[in-house]
Amino acid sequence: MGKKRKHSETEVVANVKKDESAPERAKRTLLGWKDKTEGEKESNDSPAVFRSNEKVLVTCSRRINFRYRHLMLNLVSLLPHCKKDNKVESKQSKGSTLNELVELKSCSSCLFFECRKGKDLYLWMSKCPNGPSVKFLVNAVHTMEELKLTGNHLKGTRPILTFSTNFEKDPHWKLLKEMIMQIFGTPKDHRKSKPYHDHVFVFSIVDDHIWFRNYQISCPRTGANKVDRGDLDKMTLVEVGPRFCLNPIKIFGGSFGGPTLYENPFYVSPNQIRALEKRQKAGKFAKKVKAKTRRKMHELSNPLEPDEFAEIWKE
Amino acid sequence: MEVLKKKPTVFEDEMVKDAGTGDFDVEVSESESDSQEDEDVKLAEPSKNAIYNRDGLLDKLGDISWPKNVEWIHKLSFDIDQEQEVDVNDDLTRELAFYTQALEGTRQAFLKFQSMELPFLRTSDFYAEMVKSDNHMEKVKGRLLAEKRRIEEAEERRKARESKKIAKEIQSQKLKERAKQKKEGIESVKKWRKQRQQSGFAGMDKEGDINLPFEDGKAFERSNKRRPGVAPGDRSGGKARQGGGKMKKGFDKKRKGKESKESKFGFGGRKGLKKQNTAETTNDLRGFNNNDFSGKKKRKR
Repeated sequence: MGKKRKHSETEVVANVKKDESAPERAKRTLLGWKDKTEGEKESNDSPAVFRSNEKVLVTCSRRINFRYRHLMLNLVSLLPHCKKDNKVESKQSKGSTLNELVELKSCSSCLFFECRKGKDLYLWMSKCPNGPSVKFLVNAVHTMEELKLTGNHLKGTRPILTFSTNFEKDPHWKLLKEMIMQIFGTPKDHRKSKPYHDHVFVFSIVDDHIWFRNYQISCPRTGANKVDRGDLDKMTLVEVGPRFCLNPIKIFGGSFGGPTLYENPFYVSPNQIRALEKRQKAGKFAKKVKAKTRRKMHELSNPLEPDEFAEIWKE
Repeated sequence: MEVLKKKPTVFEDEMVKDAGTGDFDVEVSESESDSQEDEDVKLAEPSKNAIYNRDGLLDKLGDISWPKNVEWIHKLSFDIDQEQEVDVNDDLTRELAFYTQALEGTRQAFLKFQSMELPFLRTSDFYAEMVKSDNHMEKVKGRLLAEKRRIEEAEERRKARESKKIAKEIQSQKLKERAKQKKEGIESVKKWRKQRQQSGFAGMDKEGDINLPFEDGKAFERSNKRRPGVAPGDRSGGKARQGGGKMKKGFDKKRKGKESKESKFGFGGRKGLKKQNTAETTNDLRGFNNNDFSGKKKRKR
């Protein structure tokens, strides 16, 4: 389905005509589906069969930490509808280069892991070609390789997405929810996806951060393949990983740029934090010197009274 | 696949142990809170010039969002209500909140799939590539087993220690009791002696409760039941001696010889007394063999 979605109601409907379940099938030509019927379809758009053909480009900047790289690879293994690309020079990542890359790969959204100073990970989540895009600071990363996360699930099954209700609270959370749903949800009938559903994604806002968890659904089987209601209570979840926590910094109107729509008012960059810490440490010696001189000045300004009994024991 | 089957039980165990949050959750999140502390500084109050373009956001949302009438099966998403505000720094409650959210989501999904009559969990005969390799799962399993073993060992050690303590106590109690018993015995004997002394010995004799054999005076005399021809100290009562001299030819010749030797030199019992001569044995010439002489001659030739 070579056509790109252009994010408007009519275009979505236009997409529909390619669905094979549609009553009149378009003729197949060498170059794709013939668009002859487009006009008619738009007029009688009642049975709008929706089909998502989301493709996510996953890439990272150069000089990425191994831990963050593993996180990225984990995400790649979780998203069957993604394309992994080579590392991008982080200087180039500003704006157009990445957009071009996304377009080149015919993707509709992008996850870009940007590592700075080998320790801070920023995640760009963007809808291409015309926005919006979000920049997150990623905290508390645990990759899937950690042995404490004991779950496992099929590669390529469609995840069930759960969002906490506080995503509905503010417009920026709403926007993020929609983006996450589109990017992290595997499209129905994607050719790399498998049937069945055996894992759950958790997106939860706690303390103004989005927390991500991935759990395997495990059900004790009672012989039969069919799961019945009795098993519902016995259903348990085992964490598969990865874990991370996203702190939204900014939301831009375009993809990788454009007007700023939202700015996190509480955000302090890790650089600032480190600088602050350093400054606190640096002040130590200066403080000591200052205290010493102050004491001296104090002693000079109010000298001790001469001791009248000092002479007594001098004999 | 085996690993896969194992896990749920392990996890369940943990669930039982401390109500919903296994201890690996704690372990994992410990490091998390550490990293949080230095990374997660927030401004005390919101900065005033932060941009918040409500309309722009909603506009964009309208742009990108899927049409309203999209079926749920395309989204597979749920909104789960969080009951109360979760404290971020309390790792246990936070993880528990995530877990319950996920569990609630799966329950709803399960019901929905059932009502739509679509497959939900994979069938047991559906095998495909997993997210984590078998190699990795082997490692995970090894770790779990090691953990279990460690816990068991610790438990055993603790038990041994406790039992040792108890055993010590019991032993000391026993010793005390024994000492007490001994003391009592001695005391009772003393008491009895005193009583006896007070009442005089004569009366006691008539009652005659102690008529020990050695009180008769003839205590250590040898019994005179000596049989003739039996060496003193021969416990067989002279039976061993019977037929000592007779030699039979054939198969049991050797045995006889052995017997006679044994009767002469003894097998068992005290040797010293047996080898002594008595008047009878000196007179008894059965043991001497005249043929010996000829035998020597033969050898000389």
